Amino acid sequence: MLRELFSLALIQHTIRTATPLILAALGGLLTQQAGILNIGMEGMILLGAFFGVVGSYFLGSSLAGVGLAILVGVLIGLIFGFFVIDLKSDEFIIGIAINIFAGGLTVFLLRSIFGVKGAFSSPGIIPLPRISIPFLENISFLDTIFNNHSIFVYLSWIFVVLVYTFLYKTPQGTWLIASGEYPQALETAGISPRKMKYISSVACGVFCGMAGSHLSLGYLTLFTENMSANRGFIALAAIIFGKSNPIKTLIAALLFGFFDALGMRLQVVGVPSQFTQMVPYLATILALFIVTKRQMDKSKKGAIEINE
Amino acid sequence: MGDKIIELKNISKQFPGVLANDNINLEIDKGEIHAIIGENGAGKSTLMNTLYGLFEPTSGEIYIDGNKVRFLSPLDAIKHKIGMVHQHFMLVPSFTVAENIVLGIEPRKNKLFINKDEAIKITEDLSKTYGLYVDPRQKVETISVGIQQRIEILKVLHKGADILILDEPTAVLTPQETQELFSIVRNLVDNLGKTVIIITHKLQEVLQLSDRVSVMRQGKMIGTLNTKEANEQILAEMMVGREVLFDKLERKEVPHKEILKVQNIKAKDNRGLMIIKDISLNLKSGEVLGIAGIEGNGQSELIEVLTGLRSLEDGDIIVNDVSLINSTPKEIRNASIAHVPEDRLAMGLSKDASIYENILMGSQYNEEYTKIKIQLNNKKIKKRAKDLIKKFDIRTPSEDVLIGNLSGGNMQKVVIAREFSFNTEILIIAQPTRGVDIGAIEFIHEQIIEKRNQGAAILLVSADLDEIFRLSDRILTIYEGRITGEFKQGDITKKEIGLYMTGRNKSELGGGIGEEING
Amino acid sequence: MKKLMGKQRSEYFISLFLSIFASLLIGVLIMVINGKNPIVGYSALVTGSFGSTYNIATTFAKTVPLVLTGLGTAIAFRAGIFNVGGEGQLYLGGFAAAYIGITFTKLPPMIGIPLAILAGAVAGAAYGYIPAILKVKYKVDEVITTIMLNTVAALFTGYLVNHPFATTQGKMGATEIIAEQYQFSKLIKLSTLNTSIFYMAAIALIIYYLMEKTSFGYELKMTGQNSQFARYGGINDKKQMIVAMLISGGLCGMAGVFEVLGVHYRFLQNISPGYAFDGMLIALIVKNNPIGIILMSIFFGALKTGSISMENATGIPSELVLVIQSIIILFIAGEAGFKNIYKNWRLKKSSERKVGEENA
Repeated sequence: MLRELFSLALIQHTIRTATPLILAALGGLLTQQAGILNIGMEGMILLGAFFGVVGSYFLGSSLAGVGLAILVGVLIGLIFGFFVIDLKSDEFIIGIAINIFAGGLTVFLLRSIFGVKGAFSSPGIIPLPRISIPFLENISFLDTIFNNHSIFVYLSWIFVVLVYTFLYKTPQGTWLIASGEYPQALETAGISPRKMKYISSVACGVFCGMAGSHLSLGYLTLFTENMSANRGFIALAAIIFGKSNPIKTLIAALLFGFFDALGMRLQVVGVPSQFTQMVPYLATILALFIVTKRQMDKSKKGAIEINE
Repeated sequence: MGDKIIELKNISKQFPGVLANDNINLEIDKGEIHAIIGENGAGKSTLMNTLYGLFEPTSGEIYIDGNKVRFLSPLDAIKHKIGMVHQHFMLVPSFTVAENIVLGIEPRKNKLFINKDEAIKITEDLSKTYGLYVDPRQKVETISVGIQQRIEILKVLHKGADILILDEPTAVLTPQETQELFSIVRNLVDNLGKTVIIITHKLQEVLQLSDRVSVMRQGKMIGTLNTKEANEQILAEMMVGREVLFDKLERKEVPHKEILKVQNIKAKDNRGLMIIKDISLNLKSGEVLGIAGIEGNGQSELIEVLTGLRSLEDGDIIVNDVSLINSTPKEIRNASIAHVPEDRLAMGLSKDASIYENILMGSQYNEEYTKIKIQLNNKKIKKRAKDLIKKFDIRTPSEDVLIGNLSGGNMQKVVIAREFSFNTEILIIAQPTRGVDIGAIEFIHEQIIEKRNQGAAILLVSADLDEIFRLSDRILTIYEGRITGEFKQGDITKKEIGLYMTGRNKSELGGGIGEEING
Repeated sequence: MKKLMGKQRSEYFISLFLSIFASLLIGVLIMVINGKNPIVGYSALVTGSFGSTYNIATTFAKTVPLVLTGLGTAIAFRAGIFNVGGEGQLYLGGFAAAYIGITFTKLPPMIGIPLAILAGAVAGAAYGYIPAILKVKYKVDEVITTIMLNTVAALFTGYLVNHPFATTQGKMGATEIIAEQYQFSKLIKLSTLNTSIFYMAAIALIIYYLMEKTSFGYELKMTGQNSQFARYGGINDKKQMIVAMLISGGLCGMAGVFEVLGVHYRFLQNISPGYAFDGMLIALIVKNNPIGIILMSIFFGALKTGSISMENATGIPSELVLVIQSIIILFIAGEAGFKNIYKNWRLKKSSERKVGEENA
């Protein structure tokens, strides 16, 4: 049984399922670094998934699908930014409002554009290209694990490096971190923290748009209601677990991807699907518990928490 | 002195509901130290933030070297060689000293990336040029307040500032650090050709340091004097707008009885480090016991331990022969301890609740204010709130107003009204007049002494040495979690106390005045 | 003195009205873009929700779960806990009631119904206790945990109704029908309105009293506004948060109970179309005011009921109301910010005018 569980396919599957988490988490960690907790990633991913399908179906190219998803991501990032940064609204409430808005809007548009309820799939939706790396083909296990993934799988790894470099090696990245940690310090240095926060918010929209279009155009070519399936929240957990550091967040996302993949494998060996589907959710709660517990053990022993 | 380097003409700044600056005119000469004084809320900081480009004035003009300028952001001010050291240092805690100094104008390599080595070199060079030593690689969050101020000054100088604005620079410094800062400032002006504007409300510092002084009151500029022609009395009157009589507070002789005994306590801070290492003290009825110390030496934790908000590692706290170890805040309140916390908005009030709801805190299950045990009796609650509003002169249209809409002084009065109305034997009072205007300070001080005269035992913690000296019957100094000295009122000077607050003692001052009583 | 309070409240009413108005306007826009007549659409919406006894009954039937989950969310919010887990609590509560109803078939209704309600409330409360204790004791963010637990509860009950408790009448993801004495009678023929609305009214009254009139409610509110202040004032803030979460979970659990006992007479795997999320939305819109929750629930109930008629009349998908609802909350959340922008704009205008006058 263990052999069936822990196969190469498990690793391959982990890489696959982690991809949307990695993409969304990269966006979310940018807002997190800029001092904004983005609960609305869930909705942003959902919108990305939907408009990816719209773009691909009507414009006849997967690139157009991704482009439209990104465009919508920019828009929703701007809206999120406007409410949270300029109107100074509660980021929790705005995030939740965006999730509900995305849920309602996609269901509504699904019916008014495609005339269907629940799900839309069609051969007219052009999927994203798969990448095959020739020299890997000769090494069979590397081939299984790393080859023939959808393009965003590879792009997401590149993005991790790019975001890491941006945050820690460039002035703009430093400003973004400063805008979250101590915006006044940045402001008095003559750099607008508002601008940095907006950049993070829009970037988050873009990354979530890509995550969404990967969901609906990557391996499957369809859109279903609530397709994001809490990935936005799991990505948030990965960010918290990874302390907003791109590398650590990547590891956390891979971990959650692994649990997702494990859940699917468990189904193969006969565990009821309801239980296997619970695995990533329970793993997320457990991960959050571990990370906060560790922080607590480190920080305050003996002191009754005064500053929350 | 020379030419006018800055001219502000008819500057007004309107915020929703407040005219923070009302038609201000001000001229700064090149190479002078110009002090701007005024009470909290007089508009000094607003004016300086306008000059630094953080606010755009609603109307009025700014001239630098005779040229009209318009500042839309600090960047514009920086370009005109204006730099500002804010009261709350503008340093990112998780960044290193060097990263903070170059923030916004990072040296680059390959155009895109930060050149961290270059940043460190810049910092080292600056450090040498101005004789202000800092470690470029150290993280700011691990650095003391005095050094952080140096970093701020270096940062501003690195941006090429010729005009430095210092906003309340001595608020967080010890007397010794203050003198050090003054010599730095003198050096910048006399030897390096800089111009300094210093915002403060401490009159003695103005008289000691500045060349000229401008006084603001309620958003208006009252006038500018040569410091030589000024004295404390004149400046205070200009600030407050009437004759200020710091009346000697009337102390009655009250019988003393020991009420609170603290024995060799130890406690940890939020990071888990032992911050209170060994403190013993006793508090008697009818006295004010002042605790003098630089912030962060365990005062806050001491208060939290005494009020049940922090657990004790070791030692004992005894009130009227009963140990309070492991008591909840509620039990401690019932044991006759009331508490005016150091940060009213963080702990003393809910800004989203009304005045009467804030006054209710602590009495919500008191029979006097409930019906059938569980239901609140709003009539009586509001009646009490009204009485206290009157007695404590809280300026508000009604008890229904949200706390967040009150001024700092009135907020503080709400806290004091509530805590004093419990008529407890012990009052623990921290920073009672922080961010409060002079009128309210007078009032609060009188209330504290009245409580003392009625026989309350009062423990007073304040970062304001003047306040400690004015109110206390006895003074303890605290340094790194230990009591370093005990003095009777009148037996010690502020300068000497400053030494004890930094862990030294007065033998280092050379020649002792006043007598130390060992506790 | 009343003036200032009155001012704050009337300002809120104005923003609420404007928010609803603006969202309905966006609805108009969407209809026009789709080439539909908005007047026809909205009048169908109104008659569809209040036009006949049946329609009114359906509207009010929808308010039962909304009020309960709305109050449940509100009481947790008051204490500073963001319970997004109402949906999961509802599922478990509903299943618990169904379990009682299919297991203890011989109990008299006098005992059986209270037992079923209690079981549902306890199940919901217990499920709320998990994130509460994680939050209070270990500082694990409750928003994420409650959302995760929603899915877990839906999957778990899904397993139960497909495997151990699956009905024998075909594969439909449901339990057996509960015993007859548990079934609440319907009040209006064909509609789902049933006697649970009276239970709901009584529960709402109790929660209103608890939140607004008691020392307990005061301590809850202070804990939520500033937990340090609460602790300083002698309130056991952690206990308050946990108790609030237990009540919250209990209320959401009861929402599930009444869906089972009053509407479906069995537990179904997709028993709630997101009632708890709507309830949460309602609580947010009216800022946790219990009376506001009841009124807003009726409004939401009407939107849901009327949207079907709107769809029939114009062909606009009924999901339009989902969009409208979420836009209302967006505007309400931005309320303070919009007000500031408006005030600053007025300020600028008036100062420009002043300068203009001076120059003239």
